[in-house]
Amino acid sequence: MSAHTTSMRDALYEAPGPRTRRLTAILTIVSLVLVCIGLALVVRQFYVTGQLDAKYWAFFAQWSTWAYLLEGFLGTLVVAVTAAGISLVLGVVLMLGRTSPIMPISVVSRVIIDFFRGVPSLLLIYFFFLGLPTIGLYLPPFWMITIPVSLAASGVLAEVFRAGVNAVPKGQTEAALSIGLTPGKTMFKIVLPQALRIVIPSLISQLVVVVKDTTVAYVVSYPDLMQNGRVLITTHDSVVSVYLVTAIIYILVNFAINQLSIAMARRSGNPIISRTTENPT
Amino acid sequence: MSTQTPVIELRHVDKHYGDLHVLRDINLSVHKGEVLVLIGPSGSGKSTLCRTINRLETIDSGEILIEGEPLPQEGKALAQMRAEIGMVFQSFNLFAHKTILQNVTLGPIEVLGMSKAEAEARAMELLRRVGVDAQAAKVPAQLSGGQQQRVAIARSLAMQPKAMLFDEPTSALDPEMINEVLEVMVELAREGMTMVVVTHEMNFARRVSNRVVFMADGQIVEEGTPTEFFDHPKTARAKDFLDSIRGH
Repeated sequence: MSAHTTSMRDALYEAPGPRTRRLTAILTIVSLVLVCIGLALVVRQFYVTGQLDAKYWAFFAQWSTWAYLLEGFLGTLVVAVTAAGISLVLGVVLMLGRTSPIMPISVVSRVIIDFFRGVPSLLLIYFFFLGLPTIGLYLPPFWMITIPVSLAASGVLAEVFRAGVNAVPKGQTEAALSIGLTPGKTMFKIVLPQALRIVIPSLISQLVVVVKDTTVAYVVSYPDLMQNGRVLITTHDSVVSVYLVTAIIYILVNFAINQLSIAMARRSGNPIISRTTENPT
Repeated sequence: MSTQTPVIELRHVDKHYGDLHVLRDINLSVHKGEVLVLIGPSGSGKSTLCRTINRLETIDSGEILIEGEPLPQEGKALAQMRAEIGMVFQSFNLFAHKTILQNVTLGPIEVLGMSKAEAEARAMELLRRVGVDAQAAKVPAQLSGGQQQRVAIARSLAMQPKAMLFDEPTSALDPEMINEVLEVMVELAREGMTMVVVTHEMNFARRVSNRVVFMADGQIVEEGTPTEFFDHPKTARAKDFLDSIRGH
């Protein structure tokens, strides 16, 4: 992945000459100074408004605060992992439906995909939280958050998978058919595994969206990181410090997911599609 | 030979791409052990013809018979027929996410129901035959074009096909790699494999084939033994084509 980034930079910017190098050096120093000034201003504002007072931060020295946040963090994790799993499977199913030659199946799949892609996940959550009980269906809070988040993500993932399947060269399918694989086996043994590798970066960014979507769990009072953070805020009457810490935890989680994606991209190693296979001359 | 049922037979085959008439009343039979070379200018329909034989291209009318049986249209029967006819593509089309060994064992395991151990033993034998056994654990992208194409031939052979189709097997290769692939094909021809080869390699056609079929504009314009065709072409179209590739 890092090699890829370098080559991308090389493609965007040509190798600098002496004047550009001097200019780059000057701008680096100037921007560094500006960033430092900005940070200093933020800290000063915090200090002036009393946000750095001990009463807003002291409770972070207590283990119980962290235990409570950890509990919320685990809640977020369980919802995110479950939702990710469901949406991956559902995404593949919807993609297969969308590409089906049987017209009603493809039309219905398409409508479902567009619906879940188009509707905000908060609205879906309200539907499960407020809508379903009116027809006598009561779900536990865990499912009231997990199902809508899964549905919202599966619509996007179906399209991501479809793009991946389309990106697998046609010759792969032809070769699979020519050795006698059935169309079904061709899809599951040859096309989908390659499509998955192609879409890993998009999959990971969608996973980040899932994690962020879980934050509306407070709507259904499911104890995730966000909800527990809110409880801490009321208990200690401290908005800024708690939200700051919570935000940092979310950033760390999503940073970890990104690192995972980089590791996965490395693990799949060599470019799986050689240039010659892609563009025969 | 003519009393025997041909391995591949096309009768009055027609195909259109929209307004374009890509195959016009094609009649052709390939007998057991025969090496048939299809040549012609690009766009003449030779690749399309080759691909109709295992139904990677459909036809509009006419008949295709494999060992006297009509080519199945779909399902298990079609898959089984395809398993019996090997195909080698211009762009190799090795399964990019599988190792070289897995490329060769996939068909035998999934289609022929062979055990993994047996499939691997036979695959190694085939890879040795085409000279790439040392690369068995690599993925296709790590191999040269010539090596990849030899693996593709081994992958087809692993299915123990009745006949093999080669769709411009050397056209995507760097010049120095063409011979290593042609040598494998010459060897196959010597062993009596029934082959249909779309190619621009005139030396191969002359040396190895039993029959040359010259196509232009979707039609078979002329056919004959390589000596007849190359030394005494009957039609003006064939003469022009031969002149152009000889660089006159």
